[in-house]
Amino acid sequence: MNRRKLSIRQKINVAIFIEATLIAAISVFIFLTFKTVLSKLRFIEEFDDINISFLEMRKAEKNYFLYHDPDALTEAYHKGSIAYRTLKRSQEKLTSVLGKDTYNSLIQTLDKYLATIQNIKKPAASPEFASYLRDLGHNLTQLSTHLIKSEHRKINEIIHQSTVMLILSILGIFFSQLFRWHYFSTLLAKKLAKMESLTHTVAKGQFHEVAVQESEPEDEIGLVINAIAKMAQELEKREEQLLQAKKLASLGVLISGVAHELGNPLNNISMLAEGYLSYFDSLSDEEKKQFMKDIQIQTERIRKIVRNLLDFARQKKPEFKVCNPKEIVEKSISLVENQLRVSKIRLHKTFAPKLPSIYVDENQIQQVLINLFTNAIHAMSGGGDLFVDVYSPELKDKVVIRVKDTGSGIKPEILPHIFDPFFTTKGTKGTGLGLSVSYGIIKQHNGKISVETEVGKGTTFTIELPAYQENKEGANG
Amino acid sequence: MAKSIIVIDDEEVVCKMTKMVLSKEGYDVETFTDSKKALERIKEKKFDLVITDLKMEDIDGMEILRRVNHLYPGTKVIMITAYATLDTAIEALRERVFDFFPKPIKIEELKKSVKEALSD
Ligand SMILES: Nc1ncnc2c1ncn2[C@@H]1O[C@H](COP(=O)(O)OP(=O)(O)OP(=O)(O)O)[C@@H](O)[C@H]1O
Ligand SMILES: [Mg+2]
Repeated sequence: MNRRKLSIRQKINVAIFIEATLIAAISVFIFLTFKTVLSKLRFIEEFDDINISFLEMRKAEKNYFLYHDPDALTEAYHKGSIAYRTLKRSQEKLTSVLGKDTYNSLIQTLDKYLATIQNIKKPAASPEFASYLRDLGHNLTQLSTHLIKSEHRKINEIIHQSTVMLILSILGIFFSQLFRWHYFSTLLAKKLAKMESLTHTVAKGQFHEVAVQESEPEDEIGLVINAIAKMAQELEKREEQLLQAKKLASLGVLISGVAHELGNPLNNISMLAEGYLSYFDSLSDEEKKQFMKDIQIQTERIRKIVRNLLDFARQKKPEFKVCNPKEIVEKSISLVENQLRVSKIRLHKTFAPKLPSIYVDENQIQQVLINLFTNAIHAMSGGGDLFVDVYSPELKDKVVIRVKDTGSGIKPEILPHIFDPFFTTKGTKGTGLGLSVSYGIIKQHNGKISVETEVGKGTTFTIELPAYQENKEGANG
Repeated sequence: MAKSIIVIDDEEVVCKMTKMVLSKEGYDVETFTDSKKALERIKEKKFDLVITDLKMEDIDGMEILRRVNHLYPGTKVIMITAYATLDTAIEALRERVFDFFPKPIKIEELKKSVKEALSD
């Protein structure tokens, strides 16, 4: 099963949701960046205090070494203790920023510094302590300045990174919106175009094409398209019913047609027989023979009518087989080739390469083609050209057989009747069933037959038959 | 002088048989399977009797009837038809058709009807 497709509204919602999430993520990121920057600043502030204590401590220390003022040493100790207390108080925060090692070395160095001051205060203290103290002090200030500098650097880095991030995410949102707009507008445009073409097809009355088209994903427009397809199915069904009704109506025409068609030859036979009997004695042998020949001709006429009528009335379900359209057309042509030669008609046939197969009753399609060829031959009594073209349009979903003649053409006033049973302009030579039988056959094959004609120029009959599709069993049934 | 009859029917057999039968009866018979040509002939010559099929190509029997009545008001017309609806029958009678012959035509009846038509 194919998974349920998202509707267009849902798609738009998803896109908006993604964007909103993106914006929320960016906001959280900015918030967090601010928080880190802020805590770093706090740290710097705090550490600044320590740093200042260190500097004051060192100043006092220098004073001591310059003036050997014991008060200065006490001052240095005092400042160092304040720094020590601050360090201890903020131990947690500082370790989190500086790391345990740095913190520990800081506090240990300060510890040693303070201890050294105590040692120096003792009478007869070794002068080594003095230089030791100086080294420790130097280390302390260096370390703290280094720390502050590195934190400053880190803040700058963070600010720089987040500026880049911000620009990137703004660009990201911009492009995602651009994409969303483009995607949905092209999606909509495509679907609307499809809808338009479908409605056009329906308007042209080609319900079948629309009715069998693959169903669309069930989004809003897809639903409309599917509804159109469904409507076309309905219309096709209705058309079929209408056709049945027409058939029923044409049954009336058929019956009166039969009466008339059979009436004439029957009358002829009756007259010939009566005349033969009445004048038997006065007729020469030759005349008698002629009478019988005439009767034969009339019975032949009746036979032809009956045969065509049977074809017409049989309504036999066609026996479908997968066939090669070229073969069928060639076979049908071979059956009329002699007639073409006799009538001085040149044949021009073209077959497109790679024709799809068709699923048809071969005999019936041959019958249709022979009807069309015969009509064309009749229309070109003074010779002419017969064009037979077989091809398949781009989609390869159907095969088109075109039969074109350069004959008399069909007068506009009779054009609407040529597919009616018993409509003929050939008097006693035609039954008028050829085209109506052909129409019925092509309809049963889910095909189409159409005609274009110009008086004096010629006539083109076009048959379209659905191509056989292997994956769809009985697609033509 | 022999009475003249024109027979118009697109069935050749009908023309041939009526000509044979009526000629033997001593009439002067002309036949046409093409109603257009027949009408031309009618314009040229006044026949004593017109026998015409109702349903024909080009010009049908009703048209022939109307033309004959117009050109030669006294001339009688016998209408032949394979099948007649009530409408055409009524219309034909209104146009003063002399007789109405449904197919199949009985030769004897035709002879009788022709004789009747040309009796006076
Ligand atoms: N190619 C054509 N060119 C000109 N007129 C045509 C052509 N095809 C058909 N027609 C016209 O359409 C009418 C009906 O054709 P249809 O094949 O049904 O009957 P038919 O040819 O008269 O008789 P039948 O085929 O039964 O012998 C013809 O009588 C003719 O007037
Ligand atoms: Mg035909």
